[in-house]
Amino acid sequence: MSLYVYCLSEEKTDALEKITGAGGAKPFLITRDAINAVVSEFVGESISATRENVIAHQRVIGHVLAQTTPLPFRFGTVVTAIELGNYIDSQRERLEALFARVRGAVEMSVKIMWDKNQVAAVKKADIIEERGGAAVGPGRAFLLARQREMAASEILKRRAEEIILWMEERLSDAARESVLNAQPAEAIVVRASYLVERDRIELYRERIKRVCEERADLNFLTSGPWPPYSFTKSP
Amino acid sequence: MIDEILQEEEYSELSFLEMLDHALNRGLVITGEITIAVADIDLIFVGLNLLIGSVETINQVLGTRARKESQGEQI
Repeated sequence: MSLYVYCLSEEKTDALEKITGAGGAKPFLITRDAINAVVSEFVGESISATRENVIAHQRVIGHVLAQTTPLPFRFGTVVTAIELGNYIDSQRERLEALFARVRGAVEMSVKIMWDKNQVAAVKKADIIEERGGAAVGPGRAFLLARQREMAASEILKRRAEEIILWMEERLSDAARESVLNAQPAEAIVVRASYLVERDRIELYRERIKRVCEERADLNFLTSGPWPPYSFTKSP
Repeated sequence: MIDEILQEEEYSELSFLEMLDHALNRGLVITGEITIAVADIDLIFVGLNLLIGSVETINQVLGTRARKESQGEQI
C-alpha cells in the first residue's frame, strides 16, 4: 500500500475525516517528530490526472489551509511510508526553515497578459521605421529583418521589466515576499506570486485592485488564497 | 480586468486551470520525478506549460461569447 501525500503542517488539522481525498480515500495524519503529513491510502504507483483527482488534491490542502499554513506537495506525489519518513528526517532543517518562511501567510497569484494588439504594434512600429531607407539586397534585407526582430524583443523585454518594477513598487508593502518572473516572448508576460500575511489579505486586495485599474492596457488574472506552492523552494 | 468580464462557468474553468497551474507546476517534491497517468499513458512530468493553455482557454471562451453576441444570442 502506498500513500498519496498532500502536504506537511506544523499543526494538526481537525476534521480530516469529513473530506474526501484523491481516489475517494479519506485523508489522515501521520506525525513524525512534530511534523504532520496529510496523506491518504493509495493503491498503485501513479495517480491519474483527472479533474476529480486534481480537485480532491486541492480540496484536502484547502481544508488544511483554512486552519494553518501547510507546505503543499506537488500533485501526484505517491510514496511509501518509509520514503515519506526518510524525506521528513533528511529534510527536517530545510522544512523547518520553510515553515518559518510561510507561517501565518497565504499565496496570492497574479498573471499579467499582454494585449496582443499592443505587442503587434511594437513590431509594426519597428518595421515602419526601417522602411524609410533605400532599397537593399537580399543579404542586407535578412540582416535588417534580424535586427528588427532583436530590437522588438529588446523593447518587449524592457516593457516586461518595467511591469515587474511597477508591480513591486505598488505591492511590496502588502506582501511579505514575492516571486515575479517576466517572459516577454509569451502571452503571459508576468507571473507573480505574493506571500501575504493572513491579516493583510484585504490590504493586498485593495492594492491589486488599484494596480488593475491603473493599467487598463494589461489583462490581469488574479487568484488566491492558495497554499504557498511558490514558496516551497529554499530562497 | 479579466476577472470581471468572465461569466460564472468561464470563471470556474479558469479557476480549475489556475488550480492545475499551482498543483502541477509547484510544491514540494519527494522524488526526482513524479509520474501521473494521463488517459492511458504514463507521463513523466517534467513541466507542463499550462499557462499557455490558460490563455488559449481565455481567448476561446471570450471568442465564443463574442460570436454569440454578434449573432444576437442571449448569453
